[in-house]
Amino acid sequence: MPEQQPLVLIVEDDSQLRQYLTTTLRSHGFKVAEATTWEEGRSLALQLAPDVVLLDLGLPDGDGLSLARELRGASRVPIIVVSARGREEDKILALDMGADDYITKPFGSGELLARIRVALRHSVDPAAPPPSVVEVGGLRMDFLMREVTLNQKPVRLTKNEFDLLAVLIRHAGQVLTNGQLLQEVWGETSKAHATYVRIYMRSLRKKLEADPTRPRLLLTELGIGYRLKPELDSQSE
Amino acid sequence: MPSVPLIHPAEAELEADAGAVSGNVRTPRFMVPVDGRPACDGLIRAACRMAEARGAPWIGVHLDGPRPLLSSRVEERRLADNLRLAEELGADLIRLHFSSRSVARELLALAKTHQVTHLVVGRGEPNWRARLSGSLLEDLAQGDFELVIHVVPTKSSAAPSPLAPEPPEALDLSNLGIAIGFVALATGVGFLVFHYLGLADVIMLYMLCITAAATQFGRWPTLIASVLSILALDFFFIEPRYTFVLTDIQHIGTFTMMIGVGWVILGLAERIRAQTRLAQNQERHTRTLYRLGKELAEGGSVAAIQQRVVLFLRQELDLPVALLLCDAQGRLPVPVGTGLRLEAEELEIARTVMERGVPVGHGTELFTQSPCLMLPMPGTERPLGVLGLWFTTGGAMPASRLDLLVPLASQIALALERASLAEDRTEARIQAKHEQLRSNLLSSISHDLRTPLGTITGATTTLLNPGPQSAPGDPKVLLGTILQESRRLLRMVNNLLDITKLESGLVQAKKEWAAIEEVVGSALSHLEEQLGSRPVSVELPEIWVAMDPVLMEQALINLLDNAIKFSPPGSAIEVRGWVEGEQFRLSVADEGPGLPPGEEELIFEKLFRGTGRPVTPGAGLGLAICKGIAQAHGGSITGRTRPQGGAQIIIALPMTGVSPELNPDFNS
Repeated sequence: MPEQQPLVLIVEDDSQLRQYLTTTLRSHGFKVAEATTWEEGRSLALQLAPDVVLLDLGLPDGDGLSLARELRGASRVPIIVVSARGREEDKILALDMGADDYITKPFGSGELLARIRVALRHSVDPAAPPPSVVEVGGLRMDFLMREVTLNQKPVRLTKNEFDLLAVLIRHAGQVLTNGQLLQEVWGETSKAHATYVRIYMRSLRKKLEADPTRPRLLLTELGIGYRLKPELDSQSE
Repeated sequence: MPSVPLIHPAEAELEADAGAVSGNVRTPRFMVPVDGRPACDGLIRAACRMAEARGAPWIGVHLDGPRPLLSSRVEERRLADNLRLAEELGADLIRLHFSSRSVARELLALAKTHQVTHLVVGRGEPNWRARLSGSLLEDLAQGDFELVIHVVPTKSSAAPSPLAPEPPEALDLSNLGIAIGFVALATGVGFLVFHYLGLADVIMLYMLCITAAATQFGRWPTLIASVLSILALDFFFIEPRYTFVLTDIQHIGTFTMMIGVGWVILGLAERIRAQTRLAQNQERHTRTLYRLGKELAEGGSVAAIQQRVVLFLRQELDLPVALLLCDAQGRLPVPVGTGLRLEAEELEIARTVMERGVPVGHGTELFTQSPCLMLPMPGTERPLGVLGLWFTTGGAMPASRLDLLVPLASQIALALERASLAEDRTEARIQAKHEQLRSNLLSSISHDLRTPLGTITGATTTLLNPGPQSAPGDPKVLLGTILQESRRLLRMVNNLLDITKLESGLVQAKKEWAAIEEVVGSALSHLEEQLGSRPVSVELPEIWVAMDPVLMEQALINLLDNAIKFSPPGSAIEVRGWVEGEQFRLSVADEGPGLPPGEEELIFEKLFRGTGRPVTPGAGLGLAICKGIAQAHGGSITGRTRPQGGAQIIIALPMTGVSPELNPDFNS
């Protein structure tokens, strides 16, 4: 946790939800700024340079998606999109446009705080070189040696499996769309298809999960993409 | 006939009402005999005028009796015309077969049974037949009840029917040949026996052949056989033989006798033939109507009846047939059940039928030359449409056909009207059921939404204003309640949104190759809290199935949610997937009481909660949503109680296309 109180900008038009978010976040040691419209959101984001933006997609005076693109163009501030259920396309669009994560209404405070922490962690120092070894849960990944161990036992992965897992583990806790994963592993020009991601996820789960229907590490965000379950407390950063 | 107490037309017009004569207040009722005589139409019109002047009903009676000797087909046609005229003018028609009794007695009997007060008869031109059969009027006057008899001097007002020139009885050459052959045979046999027997026996031989011709072949062959017989007899057998010279005057008597006997027998035979024809016709009519009645009795929809009727008539009449039904605005649409396209003339005929309510076209007074005959199909409120027949084979339509076709059309109209009323009723019932369902949905939703909201509001107000004796643990309990009720509310709202989207057809399954374990896993993780420590066994094949994973997850969540709700806490839940034929099947089974027997289908209906089951929260939408989702995938959903107990719901999805691992494009 950063020693300073991180600033969260809430862009949300519903006053009750805003009040709930403000109260919850303040009580958990965050500073909070509030914006109720698209315009206000943009100007506050540029003025205050918040550490995280919570962005509602349904704003009265403009599309939340365009605000996400606007903000991403101006800074690297993590954006968490707040969206209603059943709008998977919107979520994917927002994520592909630069949002870092999404949360579906209604949500509990635990879920919200977890998302914010993940977002903050990934934004700590974007310029710093990626660590050569990452551990999540019982999974240890050595990028230099290209070695993976699960509970101290070595796991043999193919190149694509390794690359896929590497992307997920670097963004541990963050959702990654199929498109993002494809781009990271197969590259921009690849003719690869979203199905590839699912095929490799299946084989990864077979190697890393005891019960693929009850995954502990490789979580499915159905219709959107995947997320590696963060284990924040045991995280070694 | 001055001795008969009759009222002549002039007097009849003066007389205000039958009651004045009879002295009581019987309602006047008129009757007029209808036959095929040319003057009869005038009589019918006269009767109609009289009846209408008194606002009285009137009856047209036709006595189908032994036809007069040598009655022509012209007469038959005229009879049909007259009957139709009477009907068009508003008479109730009665057709009676009369046996041996006299016309007058029959008329009187009928008049009595139908409570007729006025009988309209024609004086007619004096004709030998009427004189022979005695005066009809005198006989009528013998009635034993009060009856005003109007005698109308009749002369035909109608121009001769356009079709009146009936083709004369066709001269059948083969019959003629056979008749001549008979005469030749008689002559030959006569030669053989002439020596042994006498002239009288030869005459008898000729008589025999004339009789045979008369009974078998009708007028012309009989006439020719008679003449030839006489000539042959004269030439071959009567002295001086081999000349036509007649010396003995007594033979002229013989010849006259021969011709006379021939005519009498011919007359009898014709009469029998006519009666047979009549009986056959009527029998055929009755049978046709009966079979049509049976056909119509089967009921069914308007469309089904139309199809059946068209088929039936085509078989029965061996003619192209079409039913033209009016639409709601009373316009005639295109014909049903045929490939026929209506010509301008036929449309005109149809329109005329609709306007006048009488048969028009082939063989009627209008559009006589058209091959198409159209008959009205009267309904109780407005005409239903038109029955069209195409006499494509040519030849005049026998008058008897129209007698058959008119009631046929009426009967069809009746059945169609009945069916259409039944359809209206069914529609109204369905409408009512929909209304009922909607109101059920509304009351159910308002209940299911208000209850958790009420709890939340109540718990919150208590938290804001705790009572003086509230326990320290109370807030936590209340907060837990609020959370739980909020989740319930959320589920309700989600379900409502889902069912609305599915029903409005807004949802399209976006099929992609899905790893089935991901979908099941995602659904299970959604319900982690509700599942608690319940054992869930999952058994899935490692295959790819084309599905919309988000929709299918929703279906699975609903199925799992149901399994949790309807089985004892802590009991196992089983999720299984397998391939069966061309289908992928995914089932969720529990260890609860199973499905109510007989309601395995109903559970997928909206708002169904099962009879006799404890009311559980949720508006009964979950399974309806699952059904909608399965159908959006082109699949199906079924439910059953497993043999070992517990409900099992199975979603079957079609397996199409090549699964991705077999795709040659794919290589790692």
